[in-house]
Amino acid sequence: MGKKRALGYSRYSEVQTAWLFMAPGLILLVLFTFWPIIYSLPLAFTNYSVIGETSFIGLDNFKRAFSDVDFIASIKNSLLYMIIVPFIQIISILMAVLVNRKIAGIKFFRTAYYIPVVTSMVAVAIIWGWLMSSNGVLNYLLMSIGIIDEKVNWLSDKDTALWSLMFITLWKGLGYYMMIYLAGLQAIPQDCIEAAKIDGASNFQVIRKIIVPLLKPYIFLCTLVSLMGAIRVFDEVFVLTSGGPGNATLTSSVYIYQQGFEQFEFGYSSALGLIVSVIIIFFSIFIFLFNKRGGVNPY
Amino acid sequence: MKKKNPFKNFVSKLIVYVLLILFALFMMGPFLWLLSVSLMPGENIFAFPPAIFPTFIDFKNYLEVWEYMDFLKYIWNTVIITFLGVTLSILFSALTAYPLAIFRFKGRNFIFLLLVSTMIIPAAAALVVNYLTINNLGLINTFTGVVLPTLVSVFNVFLFRQAFMGIPGDIRDSGRMDGASEFRIWVQLMMPMIKPAVAVVGLFEFMANWNSFLWPIIVLDTEKYPLASALSFLNGQFSYNFGWIAAGTIISVIPIIIVFLFTQKYYMEGISGAIKG
Repeated sequence: MGKKRALGYSRYSEVQTAWLFMAPGLILLVLFTFWPIIYSLPLAFTNYSVIGETSFIGLDNFKRAFSDVDFIASIKNSLLYMIIVPFIQIISILMAVLVNRKIAGIKFFRTAYYIPVVTSMVAVAIIWGWLMSSNGVLNYLLMSIGIIDEKVNWLSDKDTALWSLMFITLWKGLGYYMMIYLAGLQAIPQDCIEAAKIDGASNFQVIRKIIVPLLKPYIFLCTLVSLMGAIRVFDEVFVLTSGGPGNATLTSSVYIYQQGFEQFEFGYSSALGLIVSVIIIFFSIFIFLFNKRGGVNPY
Repeated sequence: MKKKNPFKNFVSKLIVYVLLILFALFMMGPFLWLLSVSLMPGENIFAFPPAIFPTFIDFKNYLEVWEYMDFLKYIWNTVIITFLGVTLSILFSALTAYPLAIFRFKGRNFIFLLLVSTMIIPAAAALVVNYLTINNLGLINTFTGVVLPTLVSVFNVFLFRQAFMGIPGDIRDSGRMDGASEFRIWVQLMMPMIKPAVAVVGLFEFMANWNSFLWPIIVLDTEKYPLASALSFLNGQFSYNFGWIAAGTIISVIPIIIVFLFTQKYYMEGISGAIKG
């Protein structure tokens, strides 16, 4: 935390100034982040939709949700999506270690790894949609090096579709996390690593005993961000499969969207949003508790 | 210092470069392939074995899709949306972050709690209500309506707050001695000190606004679509015309890569300023 000097007791004028500064931002937050929650709370207990009278139906939406096969599947898929979180951390830390050196052309490589991050998900989805089609380049490459024997319909086969989407999410995000880890690595004093090497530590030991512990706040941040991203994944699913085939790639965000904007079942959609929010809160508390034990605080 | 064996040194350098190039192919390969598809009009991308490298180069796809799609209009729409989004987001987020870094006042912790809680709600759940709000404000089919809901993000506020906390207290004190108002101190003394943070937020907001497609589709008419929305529209309409789509995608991707190249020197500084152990 920063300095607490000279702040002391806040005087009346300071309090006023503080709120004046924050007013525009807070108004926007209240209007577009809290109002939706406040508004959808009562909505979740009604059958509000485009057709028919709206009436209070108690817990019916929630009962319906827990017996809704598609919703259960969407929760399962969203939870399954979290498998990418450890892979993102491991691969992006390795990438950061790889680009954390002063050699010719290193700037080019850093930039190259970051390009998937800056491009739109629509563009990425178009490219990977083509690459992963049954007559696509991916099948050709994998067949020519003998990893697969016959063409796979990566995105339209129910056994591979979700994994393919997870791969695309991972691929698009790696550069982002790599940059954060690179910033973390550059904050580690180089002498520390040199000293360990002189004492005969192997590269693996250096990573395990020095780099990973010093990267902890960064790992915490990246885990939190990528976990939130995984649970709330929307764009890539929406553009590439919109939940199909069947409900094989239906994630909770996509299902909430479909119930709201395609079925116009606003009441039910709100109830689903509420359930998913509770699940996400549960996971964030878990991570924060886990982090507390490690004694690291990123903010 | 241990003396390094020159041969071993060479081999380890070689391994590093091989790994770097392999990763580069993994990350860039799909884009290079898209580029090669866009430059080969008439080539079927689903031929098996596929054409991976360009055997000839022709800009016909670019000319045709540029003509057909009225790209300039979409680029202009995207530029306005992005400009509004980036400038207003920096302004409002920095204003919100400043008191959180400098003052201690009642309700401060409550605001932190509010900010963190925004990370929790699934965005899809807020879409319907936000649509109704934008509609009630009379902002449907306006660019303001597109940027307004996402102007203040927790990430940006925290990043600015961290940057403000890094400024020595003397600077603010000197401003006060000269009798400057808090707002003037903020504009003239504080903001110039946090340029790296501004660059990072600017880049992230540029990316988010330039690439957003779903919300603009919900709020805007086709005429006012930004590039990403137009691209998904093009993809739906002409899914058989790979060359056009490839060319359109390349056109939409280039500006953002250029912006990234220009801002990346501040990037690391801004990120490391944002995360403190």
